[in-house]
Amino acid sequence: MKISFKMNGKPVSLDLDPSMRFIDVVRDVLHLNATKEGCGEGSCGACVVLMDGKSVNSCLLPVANAIGHEFVTLEGLRETKEFDVLQRAFAATGGQQCGFCTPGMIIAAYSLLKENAHPSDEEIRAKMSGNLCRCTGYQAIVEAVKLASKEGEGLW
Amino acid sequence: MERYKTSTPKVDFLPKVRGEAKFTDDISFPDMLFAVTLRSTCSRGKIKSIKLPELPEGYYYFGAKDIPGENVVNIIFSDWPVFADGRVNFIGESIGIFVGNNKEILEKLRDSTIVEYEEETPVFDFSESYIHKAFTKGNYEEAKKKAKQVIKESFETNYQEQAYLENQGIIAYFDEHDKLTLTGSMQCPFYIKRAVMRSCALKDNEVRVVQPAVGGAFGGKEHYPSMIGSQVAIAAIKLHRPVKMCFERLEDMTYTTKRHPSKTEYEALIGENNEILGLKIRVKLNGGAYKGCSGVVLSRALIASANVYVIENLDVVGDVYMTNTTPTAAFRGFGSPQTIFAMEMFIHHIAKKLGVDPLVLQYKYIAKKGDVTTNSGHFHDDIILKELMEKAMEMSDYKRKVKEYAKPGCNKGIGMSVFLHGCGFTGSGESEIINGKVKLVKDENDHVYCYASSAEMGQGNETTLKRIVTNTLGIPIEQATMNYPDTDLTPDSGPTAASRTIIIVGFLFEKCAKHLKEIWKPGVRQEYVETYVGPEYIHWDENTMQGDAYPGYAWGVNIVEVEFDPVTYQVSVLNTWSTYDVGRVVDERIAVGQADGGLLQGLGYGYLETMKCENGRFKNRNLSDYIIPTFEDAPHMETAFIDNPFPYGANGAKGMGELTLVGAAPAVCLAIESAIGKNLQKIPANPEYLMEVMKHEN
Amino acid sequence: MVNKFIPKTKAEALELLVKHDCYILAGGTDLMVVKKNVAGALPKFDKDVLYVSHIEELKGIYKDEKGIHVKSVTTMDEVEHSPLVPTLLKKAVSEVASTNIRHFASLVGNIANASPAGDTIVVDVILDAVLKLESVDGVRYVKAEDFVQGVRRIDRKPNELITEIIFPELDYNGEMWLKVGSRKADSISKVMVAGIYKISGKSLEKCALVFGSVSIKPVRSYEIEAELAGMSLEDVKKNKEHIVEEYAKLIKPIDDQRSTAEYRLTVAKNIIRKFIDQVVGGNN
Repeated sequence: MKISFKMNGKPVSLDLDPSMRFIDVVRDVLHLNATKEGCGEGSCGACVVLMDGKSVNSCLLPVANAIGHEFVTLEGLRETKEFDVLQRAFAATGGQQCGFCTPGMIIAAYSLLKENAHPSDEEIRAKMSGNLCRCTGYQAIVEAVKLASKEGEGLW
Repeated sequence: MERYKTSTPKVDFLPKVRGEAKFTDDISFPDMLFAVTLRSTCSRGKIKSIKLPELPEGYYYFGAKDIPGENVVNIIFSDWPVFADGRVNFIGESIGIFVGNNKEILEKLRDSTIVEYEEETPVFDFSESYIHKAFTKGNYEEAKKKAKQVIKESFETNYQEQAYLENQGIIAYFDEHDKLTLTGSMQCPFYIKRAVMRSCALKDNEVRVVQPAVGGAFGGKEHYPSMIGSQVAIAAIKLHRPVKMCFERLEDMTYTTKRHPSKTEYEALIGENNEILGLKIRVKLNGGAYKGCSGVVLSRALIASANVYVIENLDVVGDVYMTNTTPTAAFRGFGSPQTIFAMEMFIHHIAKKLGVDPLVLQYKYIAKKGDVTTNSGHFHDDIILKELMEKAMEMSDYKRKVKEYAKPGCNKGIGMSVFLHGCGFTGSGESEIINGKVKLVKDENDHVYCYASSAEMGQGNETTLKRIVTNTLGIPIEQATMNYPDTDLTPDSGPTAASRTIIIVGFLFEKCAKHLKEIWKPGVRQEYVETYVGPEYIHWDENTMQGDAYPGYAWGVNIVEVEFDPVTYQVSVLNTWSTYDVGRVVDERIAVGQADGGLLQGLGYGYLETMKCENGRFKNRNLSDYIIPTFEDAPHMETAFIDNPFPYGANGAKGMGELTLVGAAPAVCLAIESAIGKNLQKIPANPEYLMEVMKHEN
Repeated sequence: MVNKFIPKTKAEALELLVKHDCYILAGGTDLMVVKKNVAGALPKFDKDVLYVSHIEELKGIYKDEKGIHVKSVTTMDEVEHSPLVPTLLKKAVSEVASTNIRHFASLVGNIANASPAGDTIVVDVILDAVLKLESVDGVRYVKAEDFVQGVRRIDRKPNELITEIIFPELDYNGEMWLKVGSRKADSISKVMVAGIYKISGKSLEKCALVFGSVSIKPVRSYEIEAELAGMSLEDVKKNKEHIVEEYAKLIKPIDDQRSTAEYRLTVAKNIIRKFIDQVVGGNN
């Protein structure tokens, strides 16, 4: 079936089985590997992409539901000003260790800040609780999002 | 950030934050095939027959009969077969692999294979010891005669799953010189190389291992990749095509190695004036079906069994038990979290029983420089543990809170643990077994390339090791490069384990850089290789377990504050304060990251993570069943380091990879005890266990 | 080979359901877990699938004299942020899974799955919610507590499509929601309790309590609620343990990989006590 959506600003039209997982479309068909699979059941958040600006678990989204929507993966996001602010903040606080959860964290942080430009620590923790990290203990990531909120004043 | 103004930008940061770093499942080769494992469904028995389905064109099956070399995974003790041959010893044991280019078809082939077993009675209890160690200090029996009372307690710890975000995976392929090469999620490239050489009957120059980006390991990828690496290598060699095996979460969670569960018994001899005259310690670890590295885990557990306390008379015995379950193996702490939990809880329970402030007991027995260790060696270096304790108590307002939270009706609690971790391999392992080497190569542009086999898995070692080199050479950090290890290019510096990367490999790099500096000629290509030589005063007898167990020790204090909910028996971890002596911090930002991460993983071990194993089968199937802390569970953490330079460390640095995990479980349990006013004897101190504790009178 | 239909309108969907017995997939956050195949392979659907997320007529929240209508494809995120939705429902929704999931999971999907651990089902039951089911044959309304018949079994005929869940305006001035998960966020519940009540002066005019994750479907007792209706707050306090024991007879939890029967029962009882304390203590 012809399935059309927008990916990183560009229209995409592919002949796909509609029941296909969006993460498999992203990684195997579009060869965008920044998005990772950690659990395949929506628990870890490593696979999140932006769907119309909001983070969603691509391992659970069927491509049938993607029709007509706009998606952004890290490959698209990393060219933006907002990414630059986030990236600097993560670097400053130490919010990245092994890096596997990092793409998902960036996407989730972006989604959060676009909805709430000045989140408190509690709000950051609550909103990002669907993204698991085993290396950092989370504190450096919370600090990174706070810092990005401050440094990106006006952008969010 | 002000705090990190002396920290270095991480070498691997940009590729990882931009999503450009390639992890194993991001890597593909033309003509690549996938491998799916046929696993035993029987806990113990003989394989009577294997009825394979008809294999379509392009699909293959490999098992024990296809192994070119020895059917054994090269580990510290090599008793784990690459493929089960004739018999199985745990549910999930690899019998063979199906190889082909469609994973769905591979799964169907595997699911339609019929294996017939002649079942035997499996062992799940602690009845068959297959590793036994024992040692003494002083004379426990003599001391018993002077004892006024004897206090005895038992403790229990459970499995723990590493739950790295990136599942295990490995690829075998042929490089540009048609050499068999493996890349995958690993900690120890040379372990994999030697394992493949052994199982595939290949020579040193016939196998290459290259590390890609690795998404966390925590010990879980120390030995396991040697097994799956051997399996895909066998297929790759037979087919002369790349073969990839990547696990999904269910397989990783239910079949890979975990932390050893333990049962410990502690007996203390109490003297006239409340002295601890002696300790009798019995440690039992569940090793699963094969020994692997369990002997070393037991050693570490026993060496750490009296924790930081110097007790004159000790009677220490430990066993690892064979059970027909997935073999247990390395996990951050490697035996010491089990006994440090027990010892910390025990000394606090003793204090309670004697009506003494635990601090009084602790201050009396914590080690000082020159003291005799548990294994009758010596603490050769300065110990600042008391300073660490005082600083942590000050940071947390500990003493006031202890009093306040002791008031009836208060559901808050605060607890403090003190602990040590021996850095490096036990005893003379570094000098005699590992003999680690590093290499520095300076090119004509005076750019320095650093070579070591230390795998970057999130702990930032690429950055810290490079920093040691450039600090020593007095050159800017941009003038050096450190890539992920490639066994064709780098010497074997030893495994990335045992908290040895900074204390041993870092120290090697400092020495190497010093030598290079001495011979430095601008504009000329030069290289220098440094081989590890340990401090000559370290003597260790592995058979008697006597002497200096480690070249150096790192020390720490964790204070944890909790709130207990009497309606649901749930615990909220509110805040933590930690102080550490790691010699000297190489990079503050990286060190705080290790401290935060290790602490949270240790807290998970102590109160949250519950791995269930029933009749040889792990019941937790995914990250929704095996609960690790989320953002909301994680407390606010404060960390401070106090310098205490180690004479054999790079700029005085020791190790810290495991230190920050080993004290967390007792700290949170002591905090819970402070909140509920009752003793805990086992972890995880989850709500179901706390409900039991609250329901029963002590 | 299963069919995958992506209707654009409600009428199209209802037509398809005449001839095809389908899984109806809105967000997919449950179905895609249950039917998961190996990575890279298609989910293991054993019957036709109807993807309804594009039907605009099934999106939105509105209010009329019947109550608050949440159309069936409306996401949990939209419910969480809507000023129209009862706060008790928002509390339950805000603890479902994670923000990421709530961005595309539908509220109705939670009750349509009829998992014993379905968080919002408990609130649907206590708020007397009604499901609107449409087919080519007409419209049928089913009360939420009758809709869930067992584990993953619902009262939906193969040609029916849930189009709305309707929350009638109820008269109460106190509420409680407590979900006991395995950690603070992103967890499947071990026990959950929803409570609503109306206090008039010094008496409890009425109250309701519904328990989830302690049986195959939410547990509610109209008998006990009738007993409590009109009771003085003092008597409610005196009868606390009696009320607890009455409910304990109805709660039949199990041991599973997440928790134990004993824990679930003990905690459920503790929560009832907490609820009663809240009611008699005058906290709303």
